[in-house]
Amino acid sequence: MDKIVVDKLDLFYGDQQALNKICLTMKEKSVTALIGPSGCGKSTFLRTLNRMQDLTPSVKISGKITIDGQDIYAPGTDVVLLRKKVGMVFQNPNPFPKSVFENIAYGPRIHGESDKKRLNEIVETSLKDAALWNEVKDRLHESALGLSGGQQQRLCIARLLAVGPEILLMDEPTSALDPISTMKIEELIAELKDKYSIMIVTHNMHQASRVSDRTAFFLSGDLIEEDVTSILFTRPAKKKTEDYISGRFG
Amino acid sequence: MPTRQKFDHELEELRTNILNLGNMVNEQITDAVRSLINQDLELANAIVVKDIALNDLQAIIEEKCILLIATQQPFARDLRKLVAGFKISIYLERMGDLSVDLAKVTIRIGEEEFIKPIVDIPRMSALVQEMIDIGLKAYVDEDCGAASEMSLIDDQIDKIYSGVFGELRSIMMEDPNKVTQANYLLFASRFLERLGDYCTNIAEEIVYICNGKRMDLNE
Amino acid sequence: MKAHQSDRLASALLWVGASAIVMLLVAFLVLILGRGLPHLTVEFFNGPDGVRGQLFNSFYILFLSLVFSLPVGLGAGIYMAEYAPKNKLTDLIRLSTESLASVPSIVFGLFGMILFVNMLGLGFTILGGAATLALLNLPILVRVTEESLLAVPRSYREASLALGATMWQTLRKVILPTALPGLITGITLVAGRALGETAILIFTAGMNVSRIPFDVNPLAAGETLAVHLFAVKSNPLPGTNADQIADGTAALLIIMVIVFNICLTIPSRWLQHRHQGKNKA
Repeated sequence: MDKIVVDKLDLFYGDQQALNKICLTMKEKSVTALIGPSGCGKSTFLRTLNRMQDLTPSVKISGKITIDGQDIYAPGTDVVLLRKKVGMVFQNPNPFPKSVFENIAYGPRIHGESDKKRLNEIVETSLKDAALWNEVKDRLHESALGLSGGQQQRLCIARLLAVGPEILLMDEPTSALDPISTMKIEELIAELKDKYSIMIVTHNMHQASRVSDRTAFFLSGDLIEEDVTSILFTRPAKKKTEDYISGRFG
Repeated sequence: MPTRQKFDHELEELRTNILNLGNMVNEQITDAVRSLINQDLELANAIVVKDIALNDLQAIIEEKCILLIATQQPFARDLRKLVAGFKISIYLERMGDLSVDLAKVTIRIGEEEFIKPIVDIPRMSALVQEMIDIGLKAYVDEDCGAASEMSLIDDQIDKIYSGVFGELRSIMMEDPNKVTQANYLLFASRFLERLGDYCTNIAEEIVYICNGKRMDLNE
Repeated sequence: MKAHQSDRLASALLWVGASAIVMLLVAFLVLILGRGLPHLTVEFFNGPDGVRGQLFNSFYILFLSLVFSLPVGLGAGIYMAEYAPKNKLTDLIRLSTESLASVPSIVFGLFGMILFVNMLGLGFTILGGAATLALLNLPILVRVTEESLLAVPRSYREASLALGATMWQTLRKVILPTALPGLITGITLVAGRALGETAILIFTAGMNVSRIPFDVNPLAAGETLAVHLFAVKSNPLPGTNADQIADGTAALLIIMVIVFNICLTIPSRWLQHRHQGKNKA
């Protein structure tokens, strides 16, 4: 089933066009990777899907994005509910300067959960789902800033899972991590795929080829090509894609 | 972009090596067939020795492919070139082995008089060599169109082979004394037929380099 | 070799600078406390010329001025940092705040006198003094608040908003707790200034002390310790130990400021600890 359908999406920063007539669909419980050189619009595109782009001043958007058939830019859309459903992991791990427990409990609390027992459960399952529980179960009440970079990123994923999202947007989630931590996140993505629809922006093409089912190549605001990952990386249809993934520019 | 240039340079080097290997194979086949026709045992023995150098070159190509895949982690056409280059080198090495097998037929028959005039084997050999020439040129030019041309030649070879097969079978049934040599000659034509098949395999790899599609030309 | 030498020279100079500060503080404490501490007797507080009233007034005016300035200052600072769009108007507000922050305090005093003493006809009152002090501190509070909030990494806001939090939830649960140390520093700074301010208070709260102990009437005149020190030193009454009283008052002022800082810092550390969890990296 199509989870996300993007139709002729244009985005402007002031007068400058950053996305040009993007059309893209994403199936449920699949991983789509967005690749392309810096400034090609892939992160911008990602941030339109949970309307984080709204926070940037002077952004203008036209076209249509539907998630589960609902137009997310329709007037009256509850952004809070949208972001609860469409969670986001950022490039640099950004845990709050709070304890591990409080980081995970933050989301459920703001969405109205106050039952102590229930919160304990949510924290435990979220940490387990993010493959972090065994590493932090004895230090739940210590500062999250004391964790390693890779652990912090998994903590951020756990924090996200705690609010019960359906779609996970990941904006270069491993670009600040060492290879081992990167591998753990990639393994995690492979596991999360069974339950969530994941869209991941990455500069690492090999990561894209490892973790994703489909890959989309962006270049200067255009979606050049989108295809099954194994096809896109072995026999892309477009010359621009070929040149980019062969390291001829970008 | 120096990294990319270095990679391009190394791909070029790989291609040169494969071309050299192909030319070596071509020579081996020519010599093997000539040794058979002329019953030249010395030449036949030289072919067996020369195969060692051929195997060495194939090993170098294989190493280079592995190294480039590991260090460059190529995608798309680069990846296809490396994988295809790897396989082509293996096919060529097998073709080298078949030339040795042909030379061994020369040695087995020795100076014994031929039971029939040797006509079809040189014909098949010429066709195989034509295929190799076309294939190597198509590999350099990355020319997808040559594949069908090669496939047509292979059909001709197959046709000659089945003719030879029938002819030798009748000879064997008529005169049991001729069975041994007839068998050797049958083997020789069978080896040439196999050489043709390997050439079509190479043609398939060239198609893969060009458009990433797998096709079976042996049908 | 040259780079290495200049590096060592720079280190040495910076070290000298830093230790000069410490030495200055030590000299300051030794001199003022050394001279003043012996005078801090019961008589000094409760005697006929005792400073009990001034001590009380100092804290009372400080308290009132914070009551006036904190809500407005914090509110304006938060608005400027989090909600205000970037445009000409906010630039103007920022410019006004900065200009106000650099106005000499005596000018504020004059303004307070015109407004509260004369126009509103209150005369010299604690209320007028506290209100004028609040005006003096407002621009600084706004700036300190805005800066502490802007120092909170953008990524915290993004994380919170991306989890579906509202702006207000993000502010209350993530940004303010993180900015707390900066805010406390700002408040301490402002409070220290208020405790030591004289010019403004001479013009607005006057130089008289209520005869009633712990008089909380905001409309009474109220001389503070700092003003008292100024008065005693500049215009000594004949027959009093003016110098001794001045020394004692100075020492008392310093002790007050130190105690006040400690009182604010310790709870803030504790709060932060509770908020961030143990073993902060």
